[in-house]
Amino acid sequence: MKLHKRGWYLIVLALALVGVLVVFSACGGDEETTETTLAGGAEPVEGGTFNIYVSEPAFIDPVNLQESEGTQVGNQLFDSLAMFDYKTSALMPAAAESWEANADATVWTFHLVEDAKFHDGSDVTADDFKYAWERICNPVNESEISYHLSCVKGYDEMQDGSATELAGVKVVDEYTLEVTLNYAFGDFEYVVAHPALAPVPKEVVEADPAAFGDKPVGNGPYMMAEPWAHDQYIKVVRFDDYYGEKARADGVNFLIFKDDDTAFLEFQAGNLDFTSIPSGQVEATKAKYGVSDDGMEAAPGKQTLTGPETAVYYILINNKNEVLSNAAVRQALSLAINRQAIIDTIFEGLREPATGIVPWGVDGYIKDQWPYAKYDMEAAKAKLAEAGYPNGEGLSTITLSCNSGVGHEDIMAMIQADFAKIGVTAEIDAIEWAQYLDKLGAGDFMLGRLGWIADYPIMDNFLYPLFATGSGDNYSFYSDPAVDQALLDARATVDRAERIAKYQAIERTIGEAAPVIPLVMYRMGRVCSDRVLGLVLSPQGLLNLEQAWIAQAE
Amino acid sequence: MIKYIARRILQMIPVFIGVTIILFILRSPGVVGGDPVRMITGERAISESLYNQIVERYGLDKPIYVQYATYLNDLVHGDLGTSYQKSRPVSDILLDKFPNTVKLAVAAILIEMFFGIVAGIISAVKRYSFWDVLVTFSTSVLVSLPVFWLGLMLQLLFGLKFKEWGLPYLPLSGMSGSEFPDIVYLIMPAVTLASVSTAYAARIMRSQLLEVMGQDYMRTAAAKGLSSAQVIWGHGMKNAMIPVVTYFGLDLGAMMGGTVLTETVFNWPGVGYEIFLAIGQRDWPIVMGATIIIVFIVMVLNLLVDISYAFLDPRIRYGRQVA
Repeated sequence: MKLHKRGWYLIVLALALVGVLVVFSACGGDEETTETTLAGGAEPVEGGTFNIYVSEPAFIDPVNLQESEGTQVGNQLFDSLAMFDYKTSALMPAAAESWEANADATVWTFHLVEDAKFHDGSDVTADDFKYAWERICNPVNESEISYHLSCVKGYDEMQDGSATELAGVKVVDEYTLEVTLNYAFGDFEYVVAHPALAPVPKEVVEADPAAFGDKPVGNGPYMMAEPWAHDQYIKVVRFDDYYGEKARADGVNFLIFKDDDTAFLEFQAGNLDFTSIPSGQVEATKAKYGVSDDGMEAAPGKQTLTGPETAVYYILINNKNEVLSNAAVRQALSLAINRQAIIDTIFEGLREPATGIVPWGVDGYIKDQWPYAKYDMEAAKAKLAEAGYPNGEGLSTITLSCNSGVGHEDIMAMIQADFAKIGVTAEIDAIEWAQYLDKLGAGDFMLGRLGWIADYPIMDNFLYPLFATGSGDNYSFYSDPAVDQALLDARATVDRAERIAKYQAIERTIGEAAPVIPLVMYRMGRVCSDRVLGLVLSPQGLLNLEQAWIAQAE
Repeated sequence: MIKYIARRILQMIPVFIGVTIILFILRSPGVVGGDPVRMITGERAISESLYNQIVERYGLDKPIYVQYATYLNDLVHGDLGTSYQKSRPVSDILLDKFPNTVKLAVAAILIEMFFGIVAGIISAVKRYSFWDVLVTFSTSVLVSLPVFWLGLMLQLLFGLKFKEWGLPYLPLSGMSGSEFPDIVYLIMPAVTLASVSTAYAARIMRSQLLEVMGQDYMRTAAAKGLSSAQVIWGHGMKNAMIPVVTYFGLDLGAMMGGTVLTETVFNWPGVGYEIFLAIGQRDWPIVMGATIIIVFIVMVLNLLVDISYAFLDPRIRYGRQVA
């Protein structure tokens, strides 16, 4: 039977209709501007529930609160001794109302808030901090974040199993905690502000550790409404007996998504108040939802958050490699990379060229700290000639290693092209993350990549782990005894301004040697709904959900 | 038949052992690379003492054959081990995820069976008609569409734009919520998952039925005065169905292994994404536990498909010697 003419018309019509719908649905509305409906006004109001996008956290129990997602939830469930101001990153009291250090910053005494309660109604005491910290250091718990407490006396003994208590943590009385360190450390007060170092109630944990992992009992402004529904949601509600200023919202639904694109669709449908901007959508999002004035605080019509994040992306150099042990070669490679081009092409502007290893958002950050962390093709060529390889002649092929599948290959390809411009031949070796970590650990690479996110906004958090001789995180194998000594000296300096000045000098010294290549600093790429007010995303990536509020519908 | 089923069940044992041996070879140091202990402890450096304690705790310091024997022993006692990454029993994690995967797979297979068979029959019976061309054309389009793109487009249209236009819309993602009955959340992921397979099923159905319709016995049946519906349903369908049923069985088995793309796009908490993550993190207990369960399900499905042949074709009888 032949197809009738009418049949053909019907097919063409149906196809045209589907095409129009698809094109319309894919493109429509990008240029719309959000209508600002500030129904609740600028004055804080109570009630409502935030819907916040997170990906599945690894843990929400402080014993292993390690990555951004778990920390976001943990930050609402728990209060550590101190906290960082969401905007300024200034250190502020939290579960401890005050503290002091001895003259050489080896002994710290914290005075706890006396009327603080856990979500089960029990009192928060110094014993709960001691128990929580020892739980983190207990090797049985395989905590990824026990290194926070590596400066505390007795840490090594707990880690190797020869002690069951942290010798350096002493409960002076119910509300006084004394911490003795292995070495002088003026920045310790910043360390204790990490959300993982919060107290936990021993009885509840030990009654059922697995249940505690899914429904932790904390001392923070919100409490678990029900156990964590893995891969679906974590629901928390306001804790009315919170010792500090009570949360304004009734609760927060942390909705778990696997994919930024799906979460963004839910956001567009009005089902989320906060989400990540998927790649390729940054400009459209800025145009549609407006951009926050300071990049950190959202307001209706100014909903896109592009503020600084205390993180740096850098190119690792194996300083033990015969070719790369030559400082002039490292400096030449650093000068050859056009960082801005990478930012514009790959990151849609959501990064900033890194001009040193310490990123913005960290107290003591100075722009242009590293003399070779900039793009200067002619200087790069001159440095290469100085190294004995004019126009790259005689230089062996450089291998650029990275973990595959998450976009690093694109960055490496641009670096490869930049290197070619000064006559350096490079090849890319992209492998799976687990295999890549093996390579880094074994020193089996020439150039690699890593990102470093601050646990606490202090310079030491970048300089000591990455450059101290023998540090397990010093994958570039940089070693300078003078820098090692200067780092110890800076750590032991109690005066904050003096300490920061010392770290700045150290950063400059390291930069002269160009042991790694700082590439970019991070910007946030998030967007909020127009019903949230006073919401701030800190440079550490934490949301002030206990302070923000929801505009009420009239 | 009972003997046949018993024999098939016994055959599963060596297959199981073979699968576990292959998995153990793969996880041996130096085969796929990657250190599970490093993945547990993260990027940050840890002391050698702590590293060694973790290695010892999971028995990773023992020879691979000892690890294998221990695993088999635990498996026989119903213990799938504990996830390296999540510190939760693997059985708990899989019990959370497998029902969701089964729900999605069954919904997809039902859609696939209904639309695949119906479209295939219409296409075969009305050969070269408008409907045949429509089926052939649309199946070609469906087969060539990437699943994640189709999912995203369905979400944009039926989830987002329909809502904006004030039309009845579907939930964008997830498995449940207060806005819709749970079954509504299944529609888009199941349709997306079924799309490619429905197209294949329709094509197989069409070609099989066309072949059967050309057979002498079909002409004889029609010559005996049976209506065309009786000829097709009574004589054609049963004979044409065997390859189609085989395809459904295999496809359902494949879906039980999880569907990473559909699960990701629709935020469906299934087992596919879990395995995908576990492989990257070298979380061997999850990889092994999930694989063993999937192998079991696939083998049971294959058995059911084989048994169904006997009902579809009276000439097939299991457990009898053929002279």
